[in-house]
Amino acid sequence: MTLLRVEDVHKSYGDEEVLKGVSFEMDRGDVDVLMGPSGSGKSTMLRCINRLTEIDSGGIWLDGTPVYDPETDVNELRQDVGMVFQDFNLFAHLTALENITLGLKRVLGVPEAEATERAADHLAQVGLAAQADSYPAELSGGQQQRVGIARALAMEPKLMLFDEPTSALDPELVGEVVEVMRDLAERGMTMLVVSHEMGFARSAADDIHFLDSGRIVESGPPEQLFQRPEHDRTSEFLTGLQSNGH
Amino acid sequence: MLQAGDWAFVLDNFDYLLTGAAVTVGLTLTSLLLGFLLGFPAGAVEVYGEGIAQRIVSVSGVVLRGTPIVVIMLVLFFVVSISKSAFVTATVGLGLRSAAYQSQIFRGALQSVDEGQMEAARAVGMSRFEAIRHVVVPQALRRSMPGFQNEFTIVLKDTSIAFAIGLAELLTRGYDLFTQSGRSTAVLEVFVAISAVYFVLTFGTNRALDRLSEYYAIPSGESS
Amino acid sequence: MSAEEPSVADEVRTTVTVDTDRPWALAGLVAFWGWLLLRWTNDFLLPDGLAFPSDQSFVPAAPFATAAESLGATAASLGVAGAPLDVVAGLLGFVAGAIPSLPSLARGAWLTIVLTVAGIAFGFVLAVPLSVARVYGGRGLRWLSLSYTELIRGTPLLAQLFVLYFGLPLTQIIREVPGVGVGFVPATAVWVAIIGFTLNSAAYQAEYIRSALESVDAGQLTAARSIGLSKVDGIRYVVLPQGLRYAIPGWSNELVYLIKYSSLAAFITVRELFFQAESIANDTFRYTELFVLAALFYLALVVSASLLMNLVEDRTAIPGIGGKRQA
Repeated sequence: MTLLRVEDVHKSYGDEEVLKGVSFEMDRGDVDVLMGPSGSGKSTMLRCINRLTEIDSGGIWLDGTPVYDPETDVNELRQDVGMVFQDFNLFAHLTALENITLGLKRVLGVPEAEATERAADHLAQVGLAAQADSYPAELSGGQQQRVGIARALAMEPKLMLFDEPTSALDPELVGEVVEVMRDLAERGMTMLVVSHEMGFARSAADDIHFLDSGRIVESGPPEQLFQRPEHDRTSEFLTGLQSNGH
Repeated sequence: MLQAGDWAFVLDNFDYLLTGAAVTVGLTLTSLLLGFLLGFPAGAVEVYGEGIAQRIVSVSGVVLRGTPIVVIMLVLFFVVSISKSAFVTATVGLGLRSAAYQSQIFRGALQSVDEGQMEAARAVGMSRFEAIRHVVVPQALRRSMPGFQNEFTIVLKDTSIAFAIGLAELLTRGYDLFTQSGRSTAVLEVFVAISAVYFVLTFGTNRALDRLSEYYAIPSGESS
Repeated sequence: MSAEEPSVADEVRTTVTVDTDRPWALAGLVAFWGWLLLRWTNDFLLPDGLAFPSDQSFVPAAPFATAAESLGATAASLGVAGAPLDVVAGLLGFVAGAIPSLPSLARGAWLTIVLTVAGIAFGFVLAVPLSVARVYGGRGLRWLSLSYTELIRGTPLLAQLFVLYFGLPLTQIIREVPGVGVGFVPATAVWVAIIGFTLNSAAYQAEYIRSALESVDAGQLTAARSIGLSKVDGIRYVVLPQGLRYAIPGWSNELVYLIKYSSLAAFITVRELFFQAESIANDTFRYTELFVLAALFYLALVVSASLLMNLVEDRTAIPGIGGKRQA
């Protein structure tokens, strides 16, 4: 059953066209990975889905709801779409726990006690029960990112967007975040991930979309894309990634 | 409230007010100059000095920064009686107070210069004094520009407080105009006029100093 | 017309610090506040029958005067060797001259504090929307907020007070309000001064808060939006709590500034600390005693305020924000 439909999305910043007609679909429970060289439009594509960036033309549907319909309440839409950021963006003045309760209380109107309980559960799921009262500045990058994931999950989204979740991390911290993501995939969450983390893509992705200069050049399951890429651009890029030690 | 007749009154006395503005500008400049001459060495003493000299500088700094300028002026005028001239008294008062602030601007700027600069200067064989003089101070002076700009505006506005010792600067002249008999209706017009002059002066000098600091800025964010 | 207030300059105004590890400074402050509170309780709260006369000092001046006189005489008889004694005699003379004015100065200090606290509190209420409009508002709102702050910051406070007091019919309006000047409710001129300090302080506080808001990482608001908070809620629950912590050093500046510049209210007849000192000095010709005393009072208030703000900064600091700022 289709959860996300992206159809012929165009987006320009000034004279520069970043997305030149991107289309793809995701079923419920799918894990798709967007790959491509920097500047290919991956992050922009992600941000168009929860309208942190607005598209110029085309359409996006989430669970049948037209994302860009004037009737659609953008704040309600965003409750259904969790987002995890490259540089974590944890609320710096709130503890790990409060980072999660803020949305529960202020957006969903969950009462204090219940919000705390639910937040604690989500922290436990990412293995950070003991860090509930720590402030972001007291956590490692990997821990911050896990809180970031828990914060997004707490809103019980239908779809999770990951914007290069491991690229700001020291290499030794990547593993813990990937593990949480893999765990999430196994539990059936629908995930759209911008990442060059080959290990995650190979083991968890259903489909990989290769983006180059604003277009999806090639899509397919990991074994197909990694073993027998059809396009020169794709194989060039993948070769580059592998030789860089990814 | 605003009446044509009162505007005419302001216009009639335009020269009188303009002379006041000249006094204001003059007082600003002399005060800042005195503040610079005293404040620069004071800032250096706070950073590089030690013992009693540094103590004296820092305590007098706290006293000058912790006391209202009107009190400082009246102490100088009535208690110390440094001069019969209100202009000289105001200059010394604003100048001393500005020195206390300018010393902090310098202190911060001197401390913000990377220690590696000093080490590098010593490594090429400069003495400590030469290193401060030729390497640290030139960089610190540029970094002080934003602080000076702020100080300039503050001193310019605070010249109005020389009203307390009867100096015939801009604000005092405005006050004298509307307190003339039968002219109390012109009070708003007079103050709108003199406020406009102050605004033009602060705004104008600020923009001019912006230009100046852009001109002297060293590339790669030295001025930030 | 950009009004980027340089951060170096913001720092400058905070530097009225005192070493808390200097016991004599702290002891002096404690004595000052103990005496002030005692004086206010006696003068304002105790009924007349129970109270010490409100125009009379707790400590009589006469013994100090006598001591000063006899010491001075001894010093004179000792010639050059009597110089240190002469200094002590001078100090005693100063104390004797200062004592009778203390009750009036305590009353003045009360008004100084009222003006300062009211100015900064009401100013804050105006400053938050002003600064939010500057950072997040549309073109029109931004322009309006900028014009206001530039206009206020570009003209002298004394001129602003004169406009409010002499230029506008404020005094007539306030005078008609029932209760003004009765009991604890301040008199008309005080209200005008409070309005003046509020309008003035709002502009400066708005600048501090604006630059603090701008120092909050843009990703914070993005993250807030991504979990479904509206822009207003994102500013309210995420940006402001962080920005206001960054603004605390600015407030220390502003508090110190207002304490000192509240002295200008004297020129619109508010009987605050400086007014009291000056009027007694004019009556008694004891300029030295009164102005030195006034300076000491202001210094004590300013130092107390910066100690208080340091405490606030430490209390509200959380790892990564405020206190000793990282990054």
